[in-house]
Amino acid sequence: MLQISLEHEILLHPRYFGPQLLDTVKQKLYTEVEGTCTGKYGFVIAVTTIDNIGAGLIQPGQGFVVYPIKYKAIVFRPFKGEVLDAIVTQVNKVGMFAQIGPLSCFISHHSIPADMEFCPNVNPPCYKSKQEDNVIQEEDVIRLKIVGTRVDATGIFAIGTLMDDYLGLVTQ
Amino acid sequence: MPPKSFSTNQSEFVLSINNAQYPFKMADKTVPISVPSEKPVKVEKWKVKEGAFVSQGQILFLYNDSSGQSSELKKYKAVRAGKISCIKVKEGDIAEPGTPVADLEECRHPTVMKEMCAECGADLRTDEVSKRDVAVVPMVHSVPELKVSEELAQKLGREDADRLLKDRKLVLLVDLDQTLVHTTNDNVPPNLKDVLHFFLRGPGSPGRWCHTRLRPRTQEFLESASKHYELHVCTFGARQYAHAIADLLDPEKKYFSHRILSRDECFDPRTKSANLKALFPCGDNMVCIIDDREDVWRHASNLIHVRPYSFFQSTGDINAPPQAVDEKSKLISGKNGSQVPPVNQMPTLDAEPEQKKEVESENKDTDQGTEKADGDNGKIVKDADKPEKGAAESEDTTAESQEPRWVETSDGQIEVEDPDDYLIYLDDILLRIHKFFYELYDKMNGKQIPDLKVVIPEVKSKVLEGASLVFSGLVPTHQRLETSKAYLVARSLGAEITQDFTDKTTHLVALRSGTAKVNASRRMGEGKANKLHVVTPEWLWACAERWERVEEKLYPLQRGGQSSARRPPAHCSSPPPAPPAALRKRTPSGRFMDTINPLLSFSSDDIADMDREVEDIFNESDESSSDAEEAGAADDDLDDEENPPEDRLITLENEDSTQYRLQDLQHGDSSSESDTDGEPRPRKRPRRSPPSDEEPPDDADDDSSWNLMGAALEREFLAE
Repeated sequence: MLQISLEHEILLHPRYFGPQLLDTVKQKLYTEVEGTCTGKYGFVIAVTTIDNIGAGLIQPGQGFVVYPIKYKAIVFRPFKGEVLDAIVTQVNKVGMFAQIGPLSCFISHHSIPADMEFCPNVNPPCYKSKQEDNVIQEEDVIRLKIVGTRVDATGIFAIGTLMDDYLGLVTQ
Repeated sequence: MPPKSFSTNQSEFVLSINNAQYPFKMADKTVPISVPSEKPVKVEKWKVKEGAFVSQGQILFLYNDSSGQSSELKKYKAVRAGKISCIKVKEGDIAEPGTPVADLEECRHPTVMKEMCAECGADLRTDEVSKRDVAVVPMVHSVPELKVSEELAQKLGREDADRLLKDRKLVLLVDLDQTLVHTTNDNVPPNLKDVLHFFLRGPGSPGRWCHTRLRPRTQEFLESASKHYELHVCTFGARQYAHAIADLLDPEKKYFSHRILSRDECFDPRTKSANLKALFPCGDNMVCIIDDREDVWRHASNLIHVRPYSFFQSTGDINAPPQAVDEKSKLISGKNGSQVPPVNQMPTLDAEPEQKKEVESENKDTDQGTEKADGDNGKIVKDADKPEKGAAESEDTTAESQEPRWVETSDGQIEVEDPDDYLIYLDDILLRIHKFFYELYDKMNGKQIPDLKVVIPEVKSKVLEGASLVFSGLVPTHQRLETSKAYLVARSLGAEITQDFTDKTTHLVALRSGTAKVNASRRMGEGKANKLHVVTPEWLWACAERWERVEEKLYPLQRGGQSSARRPPAHCSSPPPAPPAALRKRTPSGRFMDTINPLLSFSSDDIADMDREVEDIFNESDESSSDAEEAGAADDDLDDEENPPEDRLITLENEDSTQYRLQDLQHGDSSSESDTDGEPRPRKRPRRSPPSDEEPPDDADDDSSWNLMGAALEREFLAE
C-alpha cells in the first residue's frame, strides 16, 4: 500500500457550469476513481490530495468539457511473495477464502499445513490441527503469503499460502 | 537429462528439466533437477526440505564449483513450481553432471481458482491449453470459479461420504420457492404477520422488494431434518436471492452453512440435476431431494415431490425455470386485465360475501363429508363455519393450495391463518427414508452403500402395501388402466390395482356414486367380514401426498356425491414417465399431415364412438350438480397447464385425449348454460378458459416442434 501520483480526465456536462463547478469536478473524481482497479497500480483506495485541475477543454460538437486532473491516491497492489494479514471469509473442503481489504484471496487445502484438517461438522466449519490448539475459522485473522494474482476488469484476485514460517493464525 | 556427449567445456548453465525423456512418468510429472553446470559441483547448502513446495524462482540450493577455485557460492533457482519429492545429493557432496540432484514433482494444478492454480499460483491462462483441463469440477456450491481435478473431487467426495456415513446422515437438497417459502414482488400490506421483507439490489438493475412468507413450521422442519440430513439449498433463484433467503431461514448458518446453489451456479438454466455430478463426484446415492417441481430434476427417483406452497394468491414461483415462468407469472393481472391492487387481492375485512358463498357452495356440493379432514387437499378445506371472514378466493393454477385467511388483530398486524401443515408429513417421510437407508446399510455391514434412488421408491411403495384397489370412473373407458395416471400413482405407492373386484380387493376408488362398481361394492360389503372401503380419489391423492395410508373414513364416497379430482394434483408424483418413444409416432395412415389434426384421420366408427360417449355423459350428468361439473372441468383444464408442454405434442395417444377434451368441452358448455341463471362467477384471474382454444404454450420448445412439423409437412407435399 502506498501513495502515488496519478492522472485522470473528467468529462463534465455543461449543465454543471457555475460557481460549484470545481466542487463538482472533485466529486466526480472521487466517485470515478476510488474503488477502481488497474493492472499497474492495483486498487485505488482513496484520493488524498488533488494537486492540479487543468484548464477545461470544450469538446467540439458536444459541449462537454474535459478536465485533466493530477492527484495523489493511496493504492494497493498485491505482489507475489508479499506477506499480508487477512480476514477469513469462508471455509470449505477445498480450502478457504480470505479478504485483505478489497482483495479476495483463496488458500487451497494443500497450501494449509498438512496437520490442519477440515472439520465440516462444527459451526462455523474450520481447519483444525490434530492437537486442537490451532483453529482457523471464519472471521479469524491469518497471515498469508501471496503466490499468484489475477487482475481482471472487476478487481484483483489472489492465491495465497500458509506454508511458510510464521504464517497462519494471528493471535491478538 | 543432458546429452551424454558433454565434451564441450562451456560453463553455461544447462537447465536440465526435461520431462519428455520420462514419458512413463508423465502421469505424476516428476522431473529431475540435474547439475546446473557441465562440471561436477559441490552442493553447499539446501534451502528447501524434502517434501516442501517450491515456487518458480525460489532458491533451491547453493553450490560451488568442485574445483574449489572460486569460493563464491552460486544460487540454483527453481525453473518451475512443484514439490521436491526427493533430495538425492546431500550437503557437501559432489554431484556429477548428468546425475539428478533432486526430483521435482511438478504441480498438476489440481485446484484452480479463476484460471489460476491455487497450489502454485501459476497463471493458467497463459499456459498451454492441455494443462487447463485438469481441474474441471466446481465442488463448492457458491463459488463456481473454484474448480478441482476429477481425482481430487473423487477424494473429497469420498471423504464427504465417509463422514456422512459416520455421522449417520444423508444429503438433502432443499428447494426454496414454493417448497419452504413463497415470495412475491407485488406490493403487499407492510403489516402482514410473519412475512419478511427485504430489498435485493441486482447488478445493473434498480433492485426490487421481495416479500417472503416461510411455510408454517419451517423452523421446526429444518431443525428436525438437520439431525438426519446435511442440508443443501438448491434453487433457481439468483445468487443474491438464494443467500438472502438462506439468511432468513438460517441466520446462524447452522443448517446450510455455505452449501447454497443458486441459478448463477447452475450449469443448465432448465434443470438442476446437471450440477449433481459436480457436487457429489462419488455418485448421488446418498442424495435425497425435496422440490415442488419434478421437471427440473428430470423426474429423478430420489426426489420427493412436495405440495407447492402458495401464500400470495397472485404469484406463482417467481424463480421458475425459463419455460415455466411466463405461464405462471402472467397470472398476476387481475379482473380488468390490470394489476390487482393489493387491497383486492387480500380481502381483509371487506370480503365480498357473494364471492365467499360461491366458494362454499362449490365445495359443499362436491365434498360435504371432508371438512373435518383439515389440511388435506386444499380444494376441500374451506370450512364453512366462519362465513364472516371472507376467504381469499383462489382459482390458483396450483389449485391445491390452501386458502389463507386474513384477520386484522388489535395491534394493526394482519394475522394470517395458514392451514398448510405439509412439512409435518414431509419431515416424517424423510425420517422414514433415513431409517430405511441405514437399516439397509447396517444389513450390508457397511460393505456397500445403498442407493437412495432405489430406497426412496421402495419406501414409497410400502405406503399402500397390501392394498388392492379397484377404480371406478377414474380411468376413461377407452384408456388402458395401466397407462392412467391414477394407476401409476397407486402403483408407486405399492398398491395392487385390478380391473374388477377380486377376493383381495380392499378399496374401491370411485369418482362418483351410482356406477356399476359402486353398487356392486355395496352388495358385496354386506356379506364380507373385512370391510371394503369405498373412497373418493382424494383419498388416493392424499396418500400420495403424505406417503401414508390416510384414514379411509375421511374420504367416504357420498351417495349422490361426485368428486372433482379425477386426475391427481400435479405434485402427486408417479414414477418417471415412459421414455418419450411415443412422441412423433405416426398415425396408422403413416401420413404426417394426420398427426397435426387427428380429427381428420378418424374413421367414421371412431366418430360414431365419440358421439355415443358424449351422449352418455349427457344422460349421466343429470343428477350431479353442474357446479361440480364445472369445477371438474376446470380442474382438468388447469391440470393441463401444469403439464410440461411435451404433453401437447401431437401423438397417436392424443387421439384419446382429443376425445377427452371434446368431452370436457361439452361439460363446459353445459355448465355455462346453466350458469347464466346463477350469480356471475367472480374470476380473480383470467383463465385459459375455452378448452377448444388450444393455443400452444409459447416456448422455444414448442416453436421448434412446430418448425419440425412444418418441415415434415413440406417434405410430404414435395413428395406428392
